[in-house]
Amino acid sequence: MSNAVILDPADRSPAGAQARGVAQAWHRLRRQPSTLFAVVVVAVLVVVAVAAPLLAPYAPEATDFDAPLSGPTADHPLGTADLGQDLLSQLIYGARTALVVAGGSVLVAMLIGVPIGLVLGYKGGWYDRIGSRGLDIADALPGLMVGFVVIAILGRGMAVLVLAIGLVFCMNFARMTRAITLTERKKLYVESAHVSGLRERQIVFGQVLPNLAGPLAVQAAVFLGSAIKVEAALSFLGLGLGDDQPSWGGMLGVAAEHQADQPLMAVAPGIAILLTVLAFNLLGDGINDALSGRRTTGRRRTALLGRQRPPASPTLAEVRAAASAADGTADVAAVDAPPVATAPVGPGRAAADGDADDDRSDAAVLDVRDATIVADRPDGSTVTLVHGVSLRVRRGEILGLLGESGSGKSMLAKAVLGLLPPGVRLTGGSIRLNGTELAGCSERELRAVRGTGLGVVLQNPQANLSPVHTVGRQLVDVLRAHHPLSRRDARARAAELLDLVGVNDVQRRLDQYPYQFSGGMAQRVAIAIALAGEPDLLILDEATSALDVTTQSQVLDLVLDLRDRLGMAIVNITHDLGVAAETCDRVAVLYRGELVEVADVVDLFDRPQQPYTAALLAAHPTADADIDTHDTHHDSHHDSHHDAEVTA
Amino acid sequence: MGKLVAYRLLFAVPQLLVISILVFSLTYLVPGSPAAAMLGTSATPEAIAHVEAQLGLDRPPLERFVEWFGALLTGDLGTSFRAGMPVTDLLAQRLPATLSVVVGGIVVALVLGVGAGVFTGTRPGTLADRLVTGGTVLGLAIPEFWLGLLLTTVFAVQLGWVPIVAWTPLTADPLAWLRGLVLPSLALGVTGGAIIARQTRAAMVTSMSAPYADTLTAAGVPRRTQIARYGVKNALVPVLASTGVTFAILIGVSFVVEKVFALPGLGSLMLTSVIGQDFPVVQGVVLVTATLVIVVNLVIDICYGLINPQARPQ
Repeated sequence: MSNAVILDPADRSPAGAQARGVAQAWHRLRRQPSTLFAVVVVAVLVVVAVAAPLLAPYAPEATDFDAPLSGPTADHPLGTADLGQDLLSQLIYGARTALVVAGGSVLVAMLIGVPIGLVLGYKGGWYDRIGSRGLDIADALPGLMVGFVVIAILGRGMAVLVLAIGLVFCMNFARMTRAITLTERKKLYVESAHVSGLRERQIVFGQVLPNLAGPLAVQAAVFLGSAIKVEAALSFLGLGLGDDQPSWGGMLGVAAEHQADQPLMAVAPGIAILLTVLAFNLLGDGINDALSGRRTTGRRRTALLGRQRPPASPTLAEVRAAASAADGTADVAAVDAPPVATAPVGPGRAAADGDADDDRSDAAVLDVRDATIVADRPDGSTVTLVHGVSLRVRRGEILGLLGESGSGKSMLAKAVLGLLPPGVRLTGGSIRLNGTELAGCSERELRAVRGTGLGVVLQNPQANLSPVHTVGRQLVDVLRAHHPLSRRDARARAAELLDLVGVNDVQRRLDQYPYQFSGGMAQRVAIAIALAGEPDLLILDEATSALDVTTQSQVLDLVLDLRDRLGMAIVNITHDLGVAAETCDRVAVLYRGELVEVADVVDLFDRPQQPYTAALLAAHPTADADIDTHDTHHDSHHDSHHDAEVTA
Repeated sequence: MGKLVAYRLLFAVPQLLVISILVFSLTYLVPGSPAAAMLGTSATPEAIAHVEAQLGLDRPPLERFVEWFGALLTGDLGTSFRAGMPVTDLLAQRLPATLSVVVGGIVVALVLGVGAGVFTGTRPGTLADRLVTGGTVLGLAIPEFWLGLLLTTVFAVQLGWVPIVAWTPLTADPLAWLRGLVLPSLALGVTGGAIIARQTRAAMVTSMSAPYADTLTAAGVPRRTQIARYGVKNALVPVLASTGVTFAILIGVSFVVEKVFALPGLGSLMLTSVIGQDFPVVQGVVLVTATLVIVVNLVIDICYGLINPQARPQ
């Protein structure tokens, strides 16, 4: 009957509930209406329980044989029980029983469970192996069964009831304490405490317990609710306190016997239980949010702020200024120039790449004009992630999109795919694929071009494939989304695709799961999936970044080969100069959402026109040096890549 | 797959053994003599001695355990002190009703839980999501037996749509059996449904925003196929885990709900045995329910292996 499962394991992670966070947590608590409701309900309950003798019009067990089962009257607003006991008074005293039993049993559960968990988590080794197995075995006993057995052995009574319910929940506390202690123990500060010669008890009480406080408070609140449900159930069955002790469950037990003649008797005690359990659950959620929310909102804010103003990196204008001050090559007028709105900023480059032409050539597969992408911030303002970027990619061409993390290159790709995350929007410009406008398209319209118009390969090879479906299944589903194929034909086509991307032993491989593929092989499968709809444009979003250098070069060779055979346009997004140099015909450099430079790959690496590009190349000496001397010597993997590309 | 089943069975055996040792030692935890407790205060010393001999309390525990365990393996759980019948027979009489209502409750919990979880998990943050998720918060808090009481009051007592005493054995009349199970299953399944719904929602949100979802979307797989085939199957892994937990909870709660619907299940047997301190029956009921939970978790782990290839031992 425990509600423990409503807490995600992740939520239970140590909230770092240090004292300094308490005031802040309270502040956040107050701004959550559901938590406020919970606090009010619990407060009212406590007041009612404490002041029961003052509030109740009658003694709860006082009988009135003239008016049994009266139903609501002026004397008895909620009616009377079968011996004429006042139901309102019973309800009020019932709050006392509920709180005392639930509070006592959660205390018992913590007193038993927390030490067990501490020992298992802290000692580890055999203690933990045997202890955890014991906890697993205890799982086979339904919670209420433990309560039944305790009452069978010890008989009824307040202490027995508290112990019975406490034993129901103690394993949950033990399990949670063990998990948190285990993670805390591994943390560096515990290690350093060892070194500084603190005694183990001090470590447990001084360092582990404070980190347990937050999650324990959450669990305690939730289990208070559960304990009230268990208490009500046992009292309903007549196994709770003595019959003369008022309890909500006991009231419902009487109501059940008079369902036909007094159906309303069941309403008030049931609502009392429901509200109380609800309040404790919401309180638990509220404490949990207040403790963990501090971190998540804080992280999100810094992430968004980071995009706007990375503390360590200079603005584009500053880079230009610094560069011009250093060697005077940059256009002095550009130092204070406003954010670049159109693509080519390098003098003399506009003619070379033709991106500034106003006529949209039919040869362009992808034509992005003035794309601007913004992210909404929690306070309602927006952060611009991509400023008016223009790009075009022709059939058979590979355009590299080069930039450091946070430069907006992936957001640009996601905008093209219509896969921008929630809260991030394309606010201006146009994105045309084969002359068809994609900006502002509905999901339905986008689906028409996904797969057939464009395909994508994302960074993480394993995560790109569903872990619980065979590779063949995923290929077949993609193929059947585009062509009316029978299962057999789709499988044959899937085998061809795997063969195309260089996977051997395809019939066996089709029936395997992604975890049975190496990173490089998984990425080949992802390429096959992207190619299944025969797209005109393939976007590689850091597709080879997670692979080791040798595998990376093999996959890139495959991409080049596929381009030659299928003639599609490719956008290769990367932060790796070597990858860009090896594969791309042209390279566009992005810096903090602005397009810095677009140029043919050899020109860009040999004669960067923009200071930022030069700085980027300078930061990667092998790539820079290698382009200059690419046909003289090669001593690194990157070098050989360049060779393959530049001479191709 | 065979390896997984064998491996899992191998774990279930020591689990059952430990549970049976716990159950056996139960009588030794009774303060004073369990025989005296069973017989009440007016018992003569001779009667107590007789019952002690009957329970085997006059012999060394280890010797008794070997004997008890040997009998257990042949299906002999001893004799009920109150009913004077073999415990196995009593359990066999009561098991059908309990199994019926627990299976009914699990079905309701899965339908409600997976339905609500997929619905909310595919549209997180919308008004519909907040309303349904708010409903699950209520579902977690509602006492099942109270819900049962409301349901019988409205549908059996007031509207007369179903009989108040609803139980009909499956073998007697399958249709009446099913009709009688509707309300108890609903009452029992709502909380489980809320637990499963919350797990399913979280798993769906994760699954639909995972990189493979982007890969499939970008490759042109329709959203409906993605939800039905990829979202749900990936979400099933955590959902199955919560189903195991839910099952154990439901068995316990069915003992309470049973009383509301006057079902002749293990609950009422347990209740009279707890009050009467009929230890052989209490031991029998605990053993049966623990075995049920262990078997269900075994099945769930095997399903888990079917869904998640990495969970299969290689």
